[in-house]
Amino acid sequence: MTHALANGVERNGECWRCSERVGLSAFCVSCAAPQPIAADVDHFALLGLPRRLDLDRADLERRYHDASRRVHPDRHQTASTEEQTLSLAASAAVNRAYRTLRDPIARGRYWLELHGDPIGADNNRVPPELAELVFAVQEQLADVRAGHGDAAAVAAARDALASRLASLVAGLDDRYARHGAAHDPPALADLKRALSAIAYVRTLLRDVDAVAAR
Amino acid sequence: MARVVGIDLGTTNSLVAVLGEDGPRVLADPETGERLLPSAVSFLPTGEVLVGRAARARALEAPLETILSAKRFMGIGFEHVSDEDRRRYRFAPAERGPVRFLVHGHTLTAPEVSAHVLRELRRRAEAALGDVVERAVITVPAYFNDSQRQATRDAGRLAGLEVLRLVNEPTAAALAYGLDRQEEQSTIAVYDLGGGTFDVSILKLARGVFEVLATGGDTRLGGDDMDTVLAAVLLDGLPARWREHVQVRAQVLRLAEEVKHALSSRADAPLEIALPDGGRFERRVTRAELEALIAPIVERTTRSCRQALADAGLDPAGVAAVVAVGGATRVPLVRRHGEQLFGRPPLVDLDPDEVVALGAGVQAGILTGDKKDMLLLDVVPLSLGIETMGGVFSRLIDRNSTLPVGVKETFTTAVDKQSGVEIHVLQGERELAADNRSLAHFTIPIDPLPAGVPRVEVMFLVDANGILSVTARDLRTGREHTVEVKPSYGLTDDELERMLEESFDHAEEDVQQRQVREARVDAETILRVTRAQLDVHPGLLEPGERERIMRAAAALEEAAAGEDPVRIRDAYDVLSQTTEPFARRIMDHALQETVVSRALDEL
Repeated sequence: MTHALANGVERNGECWRCSERVGLSAFCVSCAAPQPIAADVDHFALLGLPRRLDLDRADLERRYHDASRRVHPDRHQTASTEEQTLSLAASAAVNRAYRTLRDPIARGRYWLELHGDPIGADNNRVPPELAELVFAVQEQLADVRAGHGDAAAVAAARDALASRLASLVAGLDDRYARHGAAHDPPALADLKRALSAIAYVRTLLRDVDAVAAR
Repeated sequence: MARVVGIDLGTTNSLVAVLGEDGPRVLADPETGERLLPSAVSFLPTGEVLVGRAARARALEAPLETILSAKRFMGIGFEHVSDEDRRRYRFAPAERGPVRFLVHGHTLTAPEVSAHVLRELRRRAEAALGDVVERAVITVPAYFNDSQRQATRDAGRLAGLEVLRLVNEPTAAALAYGLDRQEEQSTIAVYDLGGGTFDVSILKLARGVFEVLATGGDTRLGGDDMDTVLAAVLLDGLPARWREHVQVRAQVLRLAEEVKHALSSRADAPLEIALPDGGRFERRVTRAELEALIAPIVERTTRSCRQALADAGLDPAGVAAVVAVGGATRVPLVRRHGEQLFGRPPLVDLDPDEVVALGAGVQAGILTGDKKDMLLLDVVPLSLGIETMGGVFSRLIDRNSTLPVGVKETFTTAVDKQSGVEIHVLQGERELAADNRSLAHFTIPIDPLPAGVPRVEVMFLVDANGILSVTARDLRTGREHTVEVKPSYGLTDDELERMLEESFDHAEEDVQQRQVREARVDAETILRVTRAQLDVHPGLLEPGERERIMRAAAALEEAAAGEDPVRIRDAYDVLSQTTEPFARRIMDHALQETVVSRALDEL
């Protein structure tokens, strides 16, 4: 029975140990037992947060710490093997949820995934507003690869990319405040455009760093 | 729950601590009062093993039989051993698997050597606590990879300890440091330069939760390297014929370490090398000279610190305090460097040699539930991934992910009726698999079906110890597959089993040897006393008594030459009974003499 639970097969909204209502939480508030985690667990629900793009960072951190205090393996060291297994899985799920939600970019991408419109591997079209910058940088990279690159020019291109990335990321918070919990097609499209641009610049920046490291 | 101890298994020194009512404390050896146990193990030709100070002292006369820092060799292969270490020790030729020392014709792995240190710490803790100790928290450098962690856990098992948790050294230090500062909300950096490893960790403290934001380091950088560069300069000053002499090299290395220590509190230090031909070589070393030599070593900590700060998304101003840990942070240049990096002088209010062990003691308390208000959230120090097509490293788990962390990956087959998928797991930050450290190989068993039909989900889970486990599940059947992992540089389960059995055999042998030794000492004592009394008091013997005593004494002598402690004890008892009437007469006689002499005095 507990073994089946440990493998995350079934959960019916009740604590496996004391039958208290647990909903989608990672642990039972009544008896502190770590709960089995569903494969498609919702990161917001796991930490007991409202499903919103504009999260309160301090609230997120407090909830993460509270959940960790309950589910972390250190708290279940003396428990049965089954409970230890549950604790390990629940703790890993809580860590993953926090890691995803705390980073604005990861949170936005997760939002798109949740609403069935993920940013896929097909994300290689140059966002129009970035065309000029992208073209200039790629020219620099081509020169370097051809053996007549200019280190100062590459460094300048890198700086331009980095500052563009910073302003794009900084713009996310405004966008999230505007969208709140919105998941209508126009809101999702806007989000996807912004996140695609960020992903594009990040990839390009990595290319520049790889070339510069040579 | 019985006591769980915290152990700092260091490159140079090791300590054991426990969490008491008034906080953590280091357990000293009840006999000697020593707190630091040198992590040195020396193997005598007789099979006897010396640990600690005695072993360290023997390094001068028997450098090849004395392993000074087994930690440097934990979880690595021969190909990772430095040139300096290849000159200092003798290794068994091995093409794969963990590096093996060659001592007295036997091979020894680093976990086996470390187990001797752990056994001694365990004995010390049991003597100090008056209680059995079977479980421990052991610290490891934060930057230790999976193999090095496994090796440490294996060493614990070989020493008869259940390792409840491996804790990163800088994190442990932060626990000890933050014990009285739980109410604060701040970010601290731990700069940990030990004998053989360097770690830097950035932690956020809030409401009793110690969250590691980033960690970095170098598992081959430490105070030992400073000794090595100074020793190289000193050796250069010697006549050429002594430079490669094993004993001279060991002596010079030891002197280099002493000089380094002395120069932490003075501007210059004298030293004298005794050469085997009776010659002497004297010189002075100034602090400035030492600092010029070690500056490149200290500088090597810079990159790790900058990277850790960047990974934590902080600049030095965002760090509220810097904690200095590890004996090498006593070196003034190291302190200045730490101050320069973080813009503030490092805190040294806790003994840098003891703070890690104290933190391990705190973590032991957290695990047993004695300490409920604190929680440690540590991270995986190095990215973890698998080798994919073309030798590319495909990252599955990013470095600095909070532990435990798991990731699922689905695999399928490339050709029809393929019966398994080979997976090569590696750890590191480089793009090519070959540039990262190989951890293990394993094969996922798959039902022979057309290519692409089987779908197996593999779960890579790094637990709170930073150790990876792998489980596989067939997505079509829902069946769990057991995965047999072949460690690249670790001990296989069979090997560990065999070593455990051998160590139990040895334990019995050791007990037997000790009993024989003790019985012999007693036998020699009674024989000596008996012979002396026969000479002094021949007049107190009854007819035939001397012969009876001589027979019993001869029997005991014969038994003592053998290896059976029971026989020695029995023969001892026979002699003791035989001499009893004689001994009583001697006592009476002595009493009478006293009375007589007192009577004479009183006259």
